[in-house]
Amino acid sequence: MEVKIVRENGEVTVILSGRLDTPASMEIAPQMDELTNEAGGTIIMDCSDLSYISSSGLRIFITLRKAAAVKGGKIIVRNISSEIRSVFMMTGFLNLFEIQ
Amino acid sequence: MLVFIAAMTLEATALIQFYYSQKSIRTEANRRAESQLEATNNRILDIINQAEAAVRNSVWITQWTLEHPDSMYRVSQRLVEDNPVVVGSTVALVPGYDKTRPLFSPYVYSNEAGELIFRSLATEEYDYPSQEWFTRPLELGQGYWSEPYVDDGGGDMLMTTFSVPIYDRKGRAAAVLTADVSLEWLSSLVADVKVYPKAFSLMLSRSGLIMVSPVETLAMKRTLKDFISTLDDTTGLADLSDILLSGESGNILVDYKGSTSYVYFSPVPRTGWSMSIVIPENEVYGGLRKMGTIVLVMQLLGLAMIIVMLRAFIREQSRARDLDMTRERIQNELHVATGIQMSMVPKTFPPFPERHDLDMAAIIVPAKQVGGDLYDFFIRDEKLFFCVGDVSGKGVPAALVMAVTRTTFRNISSTEDSPGRIVRAMNDGLSSMNESNMFVTFFCGVLDLKNGVLRYCNAGHNPPRILTDDIYTLEVEPNLPLGIIGGSEFKEQEIPFHYDDAICLYTDGLTEAENFYHEQFGEERLDKCLRGRKGAKDHLDNIKREVDRFVDGAPQSDDLTVLFIHYLPTTLRMTLPNDVSQIGRMPGFISDAIKASKLDPQVEDSLNLALEEAVTNVMMYGYPKGTYGEVTIAATVTEKSLVFTISDNGKAFDPTVRPDVDINAPVEERPVGGLGILLIRKIMDKVWYERRGERNVLILTKNY
Repeated sequence: MEVKIVRENGEVTVILSGRLDTPASMEIAPQMDELTNEAGGTIIMDCSDLSYISSSGLRIFITLRKAAAVKGGKIIVRNISSEIRSVFMMTGFLNLFEIQ
Repeated sequence: MLVFIAAMTLEATALIQFYYSQKSIRTEANRRAESQLEATNNRILDIINQAEAAVRNSVWITQWTLEHPDSMYRVSQRLVEDNPVVVGSTVALVPGYDKTRPLFSPYVYSNEAGELIFRSLATEEYDYPSQEWFTRPLELGQGYWSEPYVDDGGGDMLMTTFSVPIYDRKGRAAAVLTADVSLEWLSSLVADVKVYPKAFSLMLSRSGLIMVSPVETLAMKRTLKDFISTLDDTTGLADLSDILLSGESGNILVDYKGSTSYVYFSPVPRTGWSMSIVIPENEVYGGLRKMGTIVLVMQLLGLAMIIVMLRAFIREQSRARDLDMTRERIQNELHVATGIQMSMVPKTFPPFPERHDLDMAAIIVPAKQVGGDLYDFFIRDEKLFFCVGDVSGKGVPAALVMAVTRTTFRNISSTEDSPGRIVRAMNDGLSSMNESNMFVTFFCGVLDLKNGVLRYCNAGHNPPRILTDDIYTLEVEPNLPLGIIGGSEFKEQEIPFHYDDAICLYTDGLTEAENFYHEQFGEERLDKCLRGRKGAKDHLDNIKREVDRFVDGAPQSDDLTVLFIHYLPTTLRMTLPNDVSQIGRMPGFISDAIKASKLDPQVEDSLNLALEEAVTNVMMYGYPKGTYGEVTIAATVTEKSLVFTISDNGKAFDPTVRPDVDINAPVEERPVGGLGILLIRKIMDKVWYERRGERNVLILTKNY
């Protein structure tokens, strides 16, 4: 699992690659919690290379989304695979995020 | 002469093997008996300690009551009420200590209905100052366990009394405090000790009184010495009682009317009792004796056949003038001998038609000149025992050694599970034949069919090939072949065996098969035959065809043996510690389980997700932080579905009672958690929780 955070043109892009399973989510959780400070702006979650996500990974997504709702920001989820799309569907996340 | 040598070799091996089996069985009997003695002793001591502690804790309050004798019954009452093992108690004053009460002993006991009854023991006919429980502790100046007795006062209970002397502040002996402890639990505890079906246990009191014995009418009526003296033949038993009561622990052999028994004994500390376990010798060695007889009969039959054949051969020889003809006859006779030997290896395939988790095949092609290849396999306790071996040398001696090796393998592995120990015991038996400079290269494997662990030990044999996604040579320790040096160490090894893995064992007759140009078949050609997934029989047919094509009619110089085992379990198991970082081991396991089932491989990601949710739940909440625990996952392939059973012995937790998250709620109302069980429900066709004893069991089913 790898996370890259790029700040450009006032937008934050989080590039996630690999498997976001429970141990991986626990590893990146502190880093992602800090991002909630920037949830007033636009955060793009780039999932082009994300192959798998479990509920602890979803927890990271919804924590950011809730912070954005409070601070008036926006979370965009980009390029999700069909497997992850089906997980988003099962959990109602398709309605919570702007999916590109 | 030849027959004589063969007979000597066979019998020497059988004897040595018999001796070693006997030794290991004896060690096992010792271990079982001693651990049972210790366990029972500990349980008795637990209760003895409870009773002693209860009494000692009441000593100070008893000292206080010396000035308030009317409160003495309260001490006893509390002892009985608070301690389930104490059924009666009294504080008895030393005669003359209290001028106003020359005899005083208020007694409290609980009757069969559990009611407390109060009574005075200070009666003339009972005369407590002369009773053992009163006099002994005062003489000894310390706590004393009385001889066990049957209490005739209330319900014929087997009892013993613990009593301590009580001294007043000036150090004068003032009273005795007692607790009557019921021993009703003792007979069932001791009788339950069953090391072997016909073994039995005996408990003797300090004076040798039989407290517990399999003959109930003897209990509490006679001493062992007394009982022995009534027997017809007391020669072997004369000292038995004294030995058992010596306060030592150990074991002895006892003869009675021609049958021998082992007696293991150990004292029960403080009480002076002696516990013993008696095991008839034929119970210990019964199986071995039977096996020994069978082996002996088989060997004699084999010898008789060889003698008959050789006789016929010698008669023929004396008549035959043509030497070449004779030589050919010898060959023929030897061939018949090989035929007899070969009939010892399992030849029916598939060998276990009722099992779907094993696909096996084997071939053995004897060369023109007789050699001594062997293979064998059988299933015991859900473990597949198998072996391949190659006896050095040729001719009748090799064939005989092969037969002995196979019999020895069967004998030892009928009770021994560890391939390392099987090989070690076989080597010790076969080493005696080193005079004839024969040895056996041997590979022994034990595949645990429940959890897919392959343990093996290689004694100088060529290493087998393992077929997983890849084909590779199994790594083996450089152990010596069997029969070279007795007492050698043999290192055992272990690898996990997964669904669809296979092992191909062979003798060097396969890879060293030569064509007319003296080129060898070699491992590369073998690997080519093993490539691609086929049934075990197809693999072997293929190997045989390719070897035949390669040698192209060149004479076969050595036996050729191949044993192929393909593992296709219907239940796969994995155990993880409660450590989330181990989650990474699950995808491989789930992929194996899907392969074993009829599920579409595309469901792998979603199954993985559901299983990860269920397992992390246990890991994070099932056990208190910082403590070790385990989660076991079993995947069972059924007709219509793949069933995962996740179990743990953490605190009771039913994840299915949590209501589903409302996935249509607006973001502000969505909780952060609760998605795990939601995903499990959506992915699996059935989710079922139950508490089985101390275990949480979560069953997740996915239909095809």
